[in-house]
Amino acid sequence: MVSARSLSVGPGSLSYTDLPWIIQHREDRCTLCGHCTSVCPKEAIYLAYRRQRIPKLDVLKKKRGNEYRTFVGIRQKKNMANACIGCSMCSMVCPNEAIQPVPNTNEHRTLFFNNQKGEPNKRGGRRNKVGPTLLDRIMFNRISMLTDPALDAGRHEFNVTTTLGRTLDPAEFLKRTHEGGWIPPTREIFPFVIGSMSFGALSPNMWLGLLQGVAYCNEVLGIPVVMCTGEGGCPPWVLKSPYLKYIVLQIASGYFGWDEIIRAIPDMQCDPAAIEIKYGQGAKPGDGGLLMWFKVSKLIARLRGVPEGVDLPSPPVHQTLYSIEESVMKMIQTLSTAFSHKVPIYPKISASTSAKSVLNNLVRNPYAGGLLIDGIDGGTGAAYNVSMDATGHPIASNVRECYLDLVAQGKQNEIPIYAAGGVGKNGNVTQNGLALIMLGASGVHIGKYVMQSVAGCLGNEKNRCNVCNVGICPKGITSQNPKLYRRLDPDLVAERVGEVFMSIHTEMKKIMAPLGRSQSLPVGMSDALGIADKDAADRLNIKYVC
Amino acid sequence: MSATVVKGLDKNGRRINSMEFESMVQAAAETSNAIQIESMGQHNIGIRLQHTDGLTIEVKGPTGQRLGCMGMPGTRITCKGAASDDVGYLNIGAEITVLGDATNGVCNAMANGKVFIAGSIGARGLTMTKWNPDYEKPELWVLGSTGDSFAEFNCGGVAVICGINAKNSDNVLGYRPCVGMVGGTIFYRGKTDGSYSKNNARLAAPTDEQWHWLEANMPAYLTNIKREELQSTLLVREEWQVLNAVSPQERALMFSGPMTMAEFRNKHWNQAFGGGDPLRDLAPGLDRSPIGVIPTDNLRRKKPFWANRESAAPCTYYCPVHIPTVDRLRLIREGQIDEAYEMLLRYSPLPASICGSVCPNLCMENCSRQEVDDSIEVQVLGRAVAGAKSPEVAPSLGKKVAIIGGGPAGMNAAWQLAHSGVEAHIFEKDTFIGGKLAQVIPWERLSQAIWDQEIKRFLETPHIHINLGVDMDKETFEKLKEDFDYVIVAVGTHEPRKIPFPGHESVIPALDFLKKAKSDNPEKVGKEVVIIGAGNVGCDVACEAYRLGAEKVTLVDIQKPLAFGKEKEAAEALGAEFRWPVMTKEVTSEGLVMDTGEVIPAQTVIISIGDVPKLQFLPDSVETLTVGGAAWMKTDDAHLTTDPKVLAIGDVEKPGLATNALGAGKTAAEYIVSQFKNEKWQPFTKKVITQQALTITHYTPETEHEHSQENSADRCLSCASCRDCHLCETICPEGAITRRELEISHRNGYETGLGASYEYVSDDKKCIACGFCADTCPCGIWTMQPF
Repeated sequence: MVSARSLSVGPGSLSYTDLPWIIQHREDRCTLCGHCTSVCPKEAIYLAYRRQRIPKLDVLKKKRGNEYRTFVGIRQKKNMANACIGCSMCSMVCPNEAIQPVPNTNEHRTLFFNNQKGEPNKRGGRRNKVGPTLLDRIMFNRISMLTDPALDAGRHEFNVTTTLGRTLDPAEFLKRTHEGGWIPPTREIFPFVIGSMSFGALSPNMWLGLLQGVAYCNEVLGIPVVMCTGEGGCPPWVLKSPYLKYIVLQIASGYFGWDEIIRAIPDMQCDPAAIEIKYGQGAKPGDGGLLMWFKVSKLIARLRGVPEGVDLPSPPVHQTLYSIEESVMKMIQTLSTAFSHKVPIYPKISASTSAKSVLNNLVRNPYAGGLLIDGIDGGTGAAYNVSMDATGHPIASNVRECYLDLVAQGKQNEIPIYAAGGVGKNGNVTQNGLALIMLGASGVHIGKYVMQSVAGCLGNEKNRCNVCNVGICPKGITSQNPKLYRRLDPDLVAERVGEVFMSIHTEMKKIMAPLGRSQSLPVGMSDALGIADKDAADRLNIKYVC
Repeated sequence: MSATVVKGLDKNGRRINSMEFESMVQAAAETSNAIQIESMGQHNIGIRLQHTDGLTIEVKGPTGQRLGCMGMPGTRITCKGAASDDVGYLNIGAEITVLGDATNGVCNAMANGKVFIAGSIGARGLTMTKWNPDYEKPELWVLGSTGDSFAEFNCGGVAVICGINAKNSDNVLGYRPCVGMVGGTIFYRGKTDGSYSKNNARLAAPTDEQWHWLEANMPAYLTNIKREELQSTLLVREEWQVLNAVSPQERALMFSGPMTMAEFRNKHWNQAFGGGDPLRDLAPGLDRSPIGVIPTDNLRRKKPFWANRESAAPCTYYCPVHIPTVDRLRLIREGQIDEAYEMLLRYSPLPASICGSVCPNLCMENCSRQEVDDSIEVQVLGRAVAGAKSPEVAPSLGKKVAIIGGGPAGMNAAWQLAHSGVEAHIFEKDTFIGGKLAQVIPWERLSQAIWDQEIKRFLETPHIHINLGVDMDKETFEKLKEDFDYVIVAVGTHEPRKIPFPGHESVIPALDFLKKAKSDNPEKVGKEVVIIGAGNVGCDVACEAYRLGAEKVTLVDIQKPLAFGKEKEAAEALGAEFRWPVMTKEVTSEGLVMDTGEVIPAQTVIISIGDVPKLQFLPDSVETLTVGGAAWMKTDDAHLTTDPKVLAIGDVEKPGLATNALGAGKTAAEYIVSQFKNEKWQPFTKKVITQQALTITHYTPETEHEHSQENSADRCLSCASCRDCHLCETICPEGAITRRELEISHRNGYETGLGASYEYVSDDKKCIACGFCADTCPCGIWTMQPF
């Protein structure tokens, strides 16, 4: 008879070296303070007692036997649910530098078992692809030196804002001004926009910290940064505050939080910066939002008008829409009307080979205020891994072909294209952003970079951390558990927002000055771009350099 | 020495180029220290010229660019009219006077010397100047105003801008002066647009020292430009202001932000939401204030819980009677031997016969100690109780129960009922009680001495009444139902299964064989015996056959034999052979004929493929279930049948071990007692503790140990039951865990073994939820619970 308690090795049994992150613990340094096991978000590590057997032979006394030694160390669990995610919070809190997770450089077999109970791997983060992105490889190589006046980023004055909203052609503008006709609303904003991350995907402290930083940028630093709410509504006090003008409200297929927005309209002190209509997202094109039940706290439920603790998937499409024409007309017109045609309205789509069709519809729609295209390298709080890694379209060529299409129609100065998806993926946020701007974008949206730079998000493209979807964010950025999100001080987030945008502002000037541009953003200035990749150069219609 | 004149036009009136002109000037300077130049737009006039006695250069006519370029100390250059770009470019000491205006770039990169301008200057004056501390600071004096971008990257230059006849009287310093200025001082007089770089320059009134310097140096400047009459106009202190360079240290302070975030939050952010948290309407009272990452108390995500005895030790769990061996061993460790025995007898009337002899000991199959060395020796523990006295029975409840069948199931039901004060009447068909234990288990496996001792103890127990030789039929059964509060059916299986192959009439059923073997006139067996069915009963048959004279016993089966444990070992030790798969075609006088035609010779063939119940006495109110061609009694968890007055226990439900029968008897009795007492019946629901919950590495393997109950008690891992080792107190890094005595007065005897007189508690105010207590506890008591 086999004991019911005997050990067995099954198909899903994993060894220590099968795990993606391996905990290295130095027993000689450990003081057994318990901080690492206390902080670990995955309960991946524990205090292990191990026994060592030392056979002994005493020849003279003709005796033999074993001696035993018990020792302790921090070890990691080997089951999928508790596998280490490499967040390094243990290293962060260790007083003795005794513990750290190291990436398993060998193939790790959890890849084959992250589909427990028939559910494919879901996670937060973005496409797991390391190395320089195409944007990282673009160089700005039309330098003004003796051929035309050189500019000095530190000395000269720059105007680095961009336009959000539709610009009429001059004749039409004069005609309407003369006749008192409707002039479409525009905003002059900083071209790096904090992209849509919802109140819900983000913790209250993160979301409000970002807004506080945005307000600081505008009111103290004079940098007109705006941020987008994402699809999770906006707290009523914020809607009724003077900061609404720095906020792009997003409406998406789940319509979460819109009852509160509409309720607040009569009490709004100012108009929102813009309205973003989300049709698609670069990280998971063709898929809707996915706020998993772990994160639908009482507060989130209240703001979104849903029951507590339920999964909140948004459908892939707005359910009242049937065609491009209809969708563009109906949605844009309703929202433009809601704010008395004084707020720019623009759709957000995932980058796609069909993006040009959408753009051409917008060109013909007098109420459309722009188009935001989100590429495959965009981040998300929750998506199926396969959507994130394999579904979508890189942003660069998509924006480029859309821009060139506008140029062919002579409309490039009328309807702005915004780009997103992987801007700052490797930290080169300004370089990436300006590369896209010179390819034809009027501005860029940044999300993951903001989380990483202002709040210390630990995620990376080696699948470090990336547990935003289950609400256990060790930094408190994407958790709705107050025990976690109170780790994040909103003041410090806001301070970092200020620092980050001051720095982007300076870097923009450092890029623009050598190009001899100071008074207008170099939108579409592709003669300044080069890349040491012939195919990419041909596709983007920029110079091949080597 | 008289002045040497150098002319910019040749004798033909043509302009001499700058290269040729410069060599002419240089030649003149070698012989003369006073040169008069009549220039015609030549560049770099005065470049690197020096004379040991000092050199004076007067320039008349249009100058080219860079007058006084790279001027040397001791050289004085005076331009009688206006000058072109870059006057004093890279000057390192010359004194240059321009009696008119100068255009852009005056003093660019100048490191020493003085430049006096009698008019105004163009853009980018005094830019990139230097100052070597071994020399005086470079100076620029301008009577009028400067153009835009003045003093950019000024490093050491001192400028005095007098604002007389300024080109733009509203702005004497031009647009955005001082960008990137890191040193030097700018004195000015007149209005500006305030566009100077605030990061680089700080506006102030002249200090006394600065004013004295200006007062002292002004006359020489005015003399140089021949405007001495302005002395009194210009020396009105109140009209002067100074732009001083901001030091890097001062600038670092400025960059800490134009406003601190705390100030912004208090003055702007909170005000924007009506003076409070923007979420106060959505989540009243929500505390979002920052906390650390290693919190205590209610900010922990988990907390430890001392789950003593919340789950079952494997021995308790896997035993069909759920005998808490782990507690029995603790009582022994604590020296409470009598209480330990009493506890065991509260679970079974036959511990020595069953735990100690015939049971395969499922408890020890799963003993956690096996992970260290070997399991606890439970048979030693069972046999130790053979002579122990029965616990006291409870006073009579005035209820009585009829039990049909005096096997292990019926006996334990009666035993449990009796101890609870219920009259238990056993109705047994045979002439003695014990069922198959007594009838068929060979004495080799169950010592008669032990058996008799335990039967005696059983029979002497108050409230137990035995009726032997009772044949059960429908009528009697109905009578029992009327006379008793409950009827328990525990008749077992006494109808051997048979297979109707040819010759089956000559085959002896194992049940009959074993019963006879244990009687006074056992069956004769041939030299060669074949047993059909190689289970444990078949093994018992084989052993008995050898005892009765067989020389070769073969056990055949159609599948891999199911026999295991002691029975199989005993049969194998005697030489029994197991053959499978064997399909019986027929049995003849030769022996067993297989379907292959092979004959296994045998004089005696015994069939041992199980027995089935005989239930002809049951009324229609009791439903049965037909499995494998036989009817079995259908029961629920409490062993209740479809008739609410009838229960069924033991093999009549399904074939099992004697221990299963004991367990069923205990459960049924507990159910009945709970009904009599009007209490809710509580089945055994504890979950078994996992091996992972224990920390067995605290124990050292012992390859050799004595076989005593004391040794077993010492070796027990005390799964799921606190062993009071204090290790949790020791490991806790925060000193949060303490041990506390509990006041327990109502327990005595063996009952104290079922609980603890102490508890360990963790102080929420200190605990950081590291989980070390749970990871350390040898017994798996501490668990971490999310909250």
